[in-house]
Amino acid sequence: MGKEMIAMLLAGGQGSRLYALTQKLAKPAVPFGGKYRIIDFPLSNCVNSGIDTVGILTQYQPLVLNEYVGNGQPWDLDRLYGGVHVLPPYQQAKGSDWYKGTANAIYQNLSFIERYDPEYVIILSGDQICKQDYSDFLRFHKEKNAEFSVAVMEVPWEEASRFGLMVADGDDRITEFQEKPKNPKSNLASMGIYIFNWDILKKYLTEDEADPNSENDFGNNIIPNLLKDGRRMYAYHFSGYWKDVGTISSLWEANMEVLDPEHSGIDLFDENWKIYSRNPGMTGHKISKGAKVEDAMITDGCRVSGTVKHSILFAGVTVEEGAVVEDAVVMGNTKIRAGAVVKHCIIAENVEIGENAVVGAAPTADEKGVATIGAGVKVGAGAKIGPTGMISEDVKEGEER
Amino acid sequence: MSTNTNAIGIIFPNTYDEFVPQLTNDRLMASIPFAARYRLVDFVLSSMANSGIDNIAFLVNKNYHSLIDHLGAGREWDLVRKNGGLHIFPPFAMGSPKAYTGRVGIIAGILGYLRDQKTTEYVVMSDANIAYNIDFKKIIDTHIASGADITALYNEQKLPESAIASTDSSKGLYYTFKVEDGRIKGIKINDKDTGIKNFGMNVYVMKRELLIDLIDTAFVRGAERFERDVLIPELNKLNIQGYKYDGYVARICDMKSYFEESMKLLDDHNLDGLFAGSTIYTKVRDDNPTRYISGSDVKNTMVADGCVIEGEVENCILFRGVKIAKGAKVKNCIIMQDTVVEAGAELEYIITDKNVTITEGKKLQGSDSFPVYVAKFKIV
Repeated sequence: MGKEMIAMLLAGGQGSRLYALTQKLAKPAVPFGGKYRIIDFPLSNCVNSGIDTVGILTQYQPLVLNEYVGNGQPWDLDRLYGGVHVLPPYQQAKGSDWYKGTANAIYQNLSFIERYDPEYVIILSGDQICKQDYSDFLRFHKEKNAEFSVAVMEVPWEEASRFGLMVADGDDRITEFQEKPKNPKSNLASMGIYIFNWDILKKYLTEDEADPNSENDFGNNIIPNLLKDGRRMYAYHFSGYWKDVGTISSLWEANMEVLDPEHSGIDLFDENWKIYSRNPGMTGHKISKGAKVEDAMITDGCRVSGTVKHSILFAGVTVEEGAVVEDAVVMGNTKIRAGAVVKHCIIAENVEIGENAVVGAAPTADEKGVATIGAGVKVGAGAKIGPTGMISEDVKEGEER
Repeated sequence: MSTNTNAIGIIFPNTYDEFVPQLTNDRLMASIPFAARYRLVDFVLSSMANSGIDNIAFLVNKNYHSLIDHLGAGREWDLVRKNGGLHIFPPFAMGSPKAYTGRVGIIAGILGYLRDQKTTEYVVMSDANIAYNIDFKKIIDTHIASGADITALYNEQKLPESAIASTDSSKGLYYTFKVEDGRIKGIKINDKDTGIKNFGMNVYVMKRELLIDLIDTAFVRGAERFERDVLIPELNKLNIQGYKYDGYVARICDMKSYFEESMKLLDDHNLDGLFAGSTIYTKVRDDNPTRYISGSDVKNTMVADGCVIEGEVENCILFRGVKIAKGAKVKNCIIMQDTVVEAGAELEYIITDKNVTITEGKKLQGSDSFPVYVAKFKIV
């Protein structure tokens, strides 16, 4: 029996603008919000929306991501028929190829989709923080009798030219697509989430593949081709929380927004829309006598003896006595030694910040950088990392960067 | 992690239920919540699984709904296995017309299962009232090297006051060992002496064949208690070695010890003692991280995921999903999962079971020798 809709999740992005954070892992595997990784959001959205078959397209640094996704059990995606499948590029009889573009990545896996004979395919992006009900999107797609739909967000007009924009009529039918235009005719930004009728997707991917001049990209090739042929294309308005966390500053900002769900709209406490993740299996966290914790999110396994203000601590973080953590994102198993001060920064997993070291600084009028320390780095005692620091190798004792 | 160990695990999840009647009112000893996010069974089960024992029998007696719910298919402990895995044996399923009395009757009910495990040489038996993190592989190796028929674990600790004070032996039997050159020469039942004792942990290692023989013979004689009716009469014939366990032991014998053993974990030294070995697994609930809202003041407290804290908390254990509202003061308390302490409420020396609500402005006071217990789903 065919599935009504299956999901294809584009997770091959290198995330080069996350620099030190994505040296050893793909962007969708970047930790977020205390106990999640970015990919938990689309995967949880799928299962919460009743989608039980997900193909994950990977190619850049897939080890962490593959291991994390595993058999899909934490998302309830370990299924006999369907479930989650990691799909790296593979060798075929006629040769092998890396995924050349987003469209080519799906094209190379047409046979995967075929196995489930779906009516619809939803294309998802693995680098966004968003809680979205894809079943409502599908309802819209069916109501409009669409062949292709794209989820769009209204963005402020002055920022519109940074996005791929959909120009739509009063019935939400798309009449024009503008990729990062100088003179925007619309403020409906594409979220990079598409629903295709399966026959349409297959037809256009196959044709696109045959075109030697194509970049094999959904935005640059597939959508313009659909428009050219006058296909029934609709824009589905989404108004919830959505954030592309492709840069250090947007990643930091999104984490800080988790601390303020009342205003930011990203509520991880929603019982009706849980975000699932793989569990590290640690004890409860421990706040010591002399510790001071204010306006923070703290995860299992942490030991806090110092001061933590307006920060997120992932599982197993240690903050020793006299250390100060402020406006910071501190990822799993990192140790902040006694007297160290970390402010306005992102510190990746398994880092050690030595005694009395200083990382980052509160932003000033002309300096708003988010200092970033890559995974596994040791920052020596008394070292100093400036607010624009981007560190992926050990820093010696007392050294300034 | 180790490769498979040649042993079956047998767990008695109901033993000593009657020692903590409030906590076992609608659950059993093994499913008592402990250490912010665990249940007592997680310790024995994780220890066995981490030691490579992947064929484990639960001999449940009553009130086992919560345990079955917690264990599921055993996935969290990596015990979903084609060969072995978890086996849950309820009493009436084995032709026994009544709930079990004593370990002998219980084991007699699964002799068929034990006989079937032909390729497995040893058994490890344990209750679930002790939180420990034991490497059973090491204990089995010691057992084999010693040439003992049976190895019995004990630790050196004082007997609980409630046990010494109790005049009613029907409320449960506990055992202290007289050990000479490693061999157990005497087993005393319900010892009333004060001071440090060789306190039996009711953890035994022996050959599967020996257990089958002992139980088969004893059951015919009408024996009930494994220690009283099987071990004590055979002390001279069987070589029963005592294994002094020096690792961390949190033994739940009464409400007071439950409270004290919980609070002891606020000391990092004790917390590491229990958890620094292998990982203790438990059922995953997918809570978000705990949120500290501005104005919260938390000192010396262990907190699981999923809590929202806006008030004052000191010297407490908070389980998953607890909410402490603004202006609430919670001191020296154990607050189990999904309990809500509303604004301005004040609690001291209180144990709240799951899903309790303490309404606005309520004040509850217990004492360190007598913590007040609030039952599941109560609204105060």
